[in-house]
Amino acid sequence: MLLDYDRLGWLKIALLGFTALVAAFLLLPVVFIVLLSFGSSRWLAFPPPGWTLKWYQELFADPSWIEAALTSARIATMTAILAVTIGLLASFALVRGQFRGREILRGLLLTPMVLPVVVFAIAIYAFFLRLGLGGTTIGFVVAHTVLALPFAIIPIATALEGFDKSIEDAAIVCGASPLQAKLRITLPSIRIGIFSAAIFSFLASWDEVVVAIFMASPTLQTLPVKIWGSLRSDLTPVIAAASSLLVALTLALMIVTALLRRKLQT
Amino acid sequence: MTQPFLSIRKLRKVFGAFTAVHDVTLDIPKGQFLTFLGPSGSGKSTTLYAIAGFQDPTSGNVLLQGKSLLSVPSHKRNIGMVFQRYTLFPHLSVAENVAFPLRVRRRPDAEVKRKVADMLSLVRLENFAERLPAALSGGQQQRVALARALAYDPPILLMDEPLSALDKKLREEIQAEIRRIHRETGVTILYVTHDQEEALHLSDRIALFRDGRIEQIGTGEDLYLRPATDFVAGFIGNSNFLAAEHLETVSGASTIRLADGSLVSGINANGSFERGQKTRLMIRPEAFRLERSPNNAELSVEIVDIAFYGERRRIVARTSAGQEIDIRPTSSMAATQDTSPGRRRVFFDPGGAFLFPA
Amino acid sequence: MSVEAQQGIAAPRVPAGLSGLLPALILIGLFFVVPVLALLLRSVTDPAPGLQNYAALLGDGTYARVFFNTFLVAFVVTIVTVLVAFPVAWMLAIMPPALASILFGIIILSMWTNLLTRTYAWMVLLQRTGVINRALIGAGIIDQPLPLINNLTGVTIGMVYIMLPFMILPLVGTLRAIDPMTLRAAALCGASPLAAFRRILLPLSLPGIAAGGLMVFVMSLGYFVTPALLGGTSNMMLAEMIAQMIQSLLNWGLGSAAAFILLVVTMALYALQLRLVGARRAVGGA
Ligand SMILES: Nc1ncnc2c1ncn2[C@@H]1O[C@H](COP(=O)(O)OP(=O)(O)OP(=O)(O)O)[C@@H](O)[C@H]1O
Ligand SMILES: [Mg+2]
Repeated sequence: MLLDYDRLGWLKIALLGFTALVAAFLLLPVVFIVLLSFGSSRWLAFPPPGWTLKWYQELFADPSWIEAALTSARIATMTAILAVTIGLLASFALVRGQFRGREILRGLLLTPMVLPVVVFAIAIYAFFLRLGLGGTTIGFVVAHTVLALPFAIIPIATALEGFDKSIEDAAIVCGASPLQAKLRITLPSIRIGIFSAAIFSFLASWDEVVVAIFMASPTLQTLPVKIWGSLRSDLTPVIAAASSLLVALTLALMIVTALLRRKLQT
Repeated sequence: MTQPFLSIRKLRKVFGAFTAVHDVTLDIPKGQFLTFLGPSGSGKSTTLYAIAGFQDPTSGNVLLQGKSLLSVPSHKRNIGMVFQRYTLFPHLSVAENVAFPLRVRRRPDAEVKRKVADMLSLVRLENFAERLPAALSGGQQQRVALARALAYDPPILLMDEPLSALDKKLREEIQAEIRRIHRETGVTILYVTHDQEEALHLSDRIALFRDGRIEQIGTGEDLYLRPATDFVAGFIGNSNFLAAEHLETVSGASTIRLADGSLVSGINANGSFERGQKTRLMIRPEAFRLERSPNNAELSVEIVDIAFYGERRRIVARTSAGQEIDIRPTSSMAATQDTSPGRRRVFFDPGGAFLFPA
Repeated sequence: MSVEAQQGIAAPRVPAGLSGLLPALILIGLFFVVPVLALLLRSVTDPAPGLQNYAALLGDGTYARVFFNTFLVAFVVTIVTVLVAFPVAWMLAIMPPALASILFGIIILSMWTNLLTRTYAWMVLLQRTGVINRALIGAGIIDQPLPLINNLTGVTIGMVYIMLPFMILPLVGTLRAIDPMTLRAAALCGASPLAAFRRILLPLSLPGIAAGGLMVFVMSLGYFVTPALLGGTSNMMLAEMIAQMIQSLLNWGLGSAAAFILLVVTMALYALQLRLVGARRAVGGA
């Protein structure tokens, strides 16, 4: 009866109470940061003595924040496009291919997700120093694509595994060339996976701190690097304002995802 | 001699050390409904896939109107196919599914529209054009698949167990549709099933597969009434096999001795037998009679169980040699007959019984 | 359905699309495997060929303390995360869908919110004059602010916060896969709720707990951001030390050696996890 929601009795109340506490714990920093960004105290007193928008004004008045955000957006977009494209090709081979060592290759391609980022960060940092790619957009995009690739492969491969290949075969007997069948039938059928892959790999780059700290140059800073730098010097409420905007972005992304999923699934 | 429409020549398919299809040769006239029947793993699908171009045969050839298909890729063969699993394109509406083969052929819009309408009315799904596949029942999905496969007027339609995922009632309903569509379109159909009733009911001709070979090919009646081997006899319809000793055969009519010592003559012999050779006598359950007719042979049995099956009743009886046999006299006769448990005689026409090697 | 479905019916004509793997292999080979191997090489050649970097790392008490700290934090974080995640996953697995989707929304929001943002929030919340200390003092529970930041407490709170979703989400899957009938049967057999929990529910969810726990442990071992911002200087963790060796001390040899030790430990644990749950599930579904 432990798995029957309606038969748990007092246990249900206790567990639900605990769950609510955990939910509050998970929500606390997110809500807190948003409230703080509107608080008037430079010393981050809470509850704040008054409400203000001045931290947002400060944020938008500082071109280096805008610049950093644009740089991040640019790098994350390129990363997402690259990772999804490469991941899509790789997923077809990993799911459909019948060759020895397939599982090992799959493991290899997913390793960047498991290896501590700091190890990869110093490795690629040293490597790019030699190639002269340190502090360049290309360097950032390549490094981030390595990190994002697993996040692209997993949802695409999962979707592809759930797609009956006979449907593609049916398109071929109907007269579509194998390429046409893939483009017109298979890709649209696994679009939820592709879409998730795009979101995940975008986020993997957009939120990436460690590689970015090593790779950043005074002229090329991503948003996390900018926040990191500010955090290390002082805890100004401007960071709260920037963070709140990031929370808003996350929420927007979640809503779009939920809506698209609902639309795509029917 | 006229050249056959579709011709399969010595088709062989080997997977590693395993030969799935052994030199199958087969000619199919235009417009015929041919069924591949056989137990699971007997090579039916493999043969079909070689025709569709999904698998390259190890050797042999497939010819359509005298031209080899082997070098033609699947998508240029212009063959229609309905699969066992539901293969509708999940993101396209019913109408778009049916239109797909026409769109890849770049047919003009007006023609596509007209053809889709024709096809949907052919499978009686006019009102479902805008639905997505997920909103259709299994039977409706297979009907759309049928419409899609016929939309481009393929000369040949392949169907690989298209009804096996459906329940009995739905299956019978769509069988009727398939018969009607075959009649109306005149398309040549190659149909795979392992359901013998479906095969008998639908086809002009049946090729019975066993271990990658065609055991017998002929009309349903041929296979039922004149089985070439005991495998065919056992696979098609229900059969009783009685142990028997062959005595002699004179111009195709054999005389045998059954286990209880009784002699029967006038049996159809399949092949030649030695005197004293151990053989098996095959008698269909419905060939038994409860009353004597002229020239009938008789068998002394003990009735073990009687069950009522609607149209007929099924009697389980035991011969004096201890073998259980299945008897299904038609109801009208059975009703008037005394079938109470106990010892009695049953009768059969020796001309409808077959002798096979043991 | 997967094995069936992906094979389709057509036998692949070419050894299917091996060429599709080429871009991925080039990317990972050239920009992942090669740099990491070069790093390994550096650890035994910089400043001079030999194993002196490893000897230095393993022989020195300061470094030993860092290793100990790292494992301690990872261990504590894993235990706390499992204990907190299990009841939540349990409820999520059985609660009405409407309620569950709200809870899932909260979990995803927390998981997708920028890592630095979340850590920044904890920095402010946990500081000496932060909300939590003030609230506790205001409630009269304590009269001196608790040291919640720049120490292991801070790191643990921050890390548990980050790891929770990674534990909860796979556990929900495991728990949902358990047939409620099993537990009804246990109850009919006379098992008290406690006995049913200990003898049925817990053992059945153990594979999920082990897999998730191992993943959290591995992630915690190499975590950089949260320890660097919430931890103190006296109890540094391995990832932070590596970064410092490279960035501030420019000691590439020592840094590479430490990185390599981290790599070996992580990969060994990853391999263990693969054996436990298989490659597909080790890194979680979508
Ligand atoms: N790709 C393959 N590799 C190896 N063996 C195969 C392959 N495809 C089919 N076979 C084998 O060939 C034999 C014939 O298979 P086929 O699918 O033609 O049988 P079938 O008559 O269609 O059976 P069913 O009624 O179960 O569909 C089977 O024993 C099968 O295991
Ligand atoms: Mg088959």
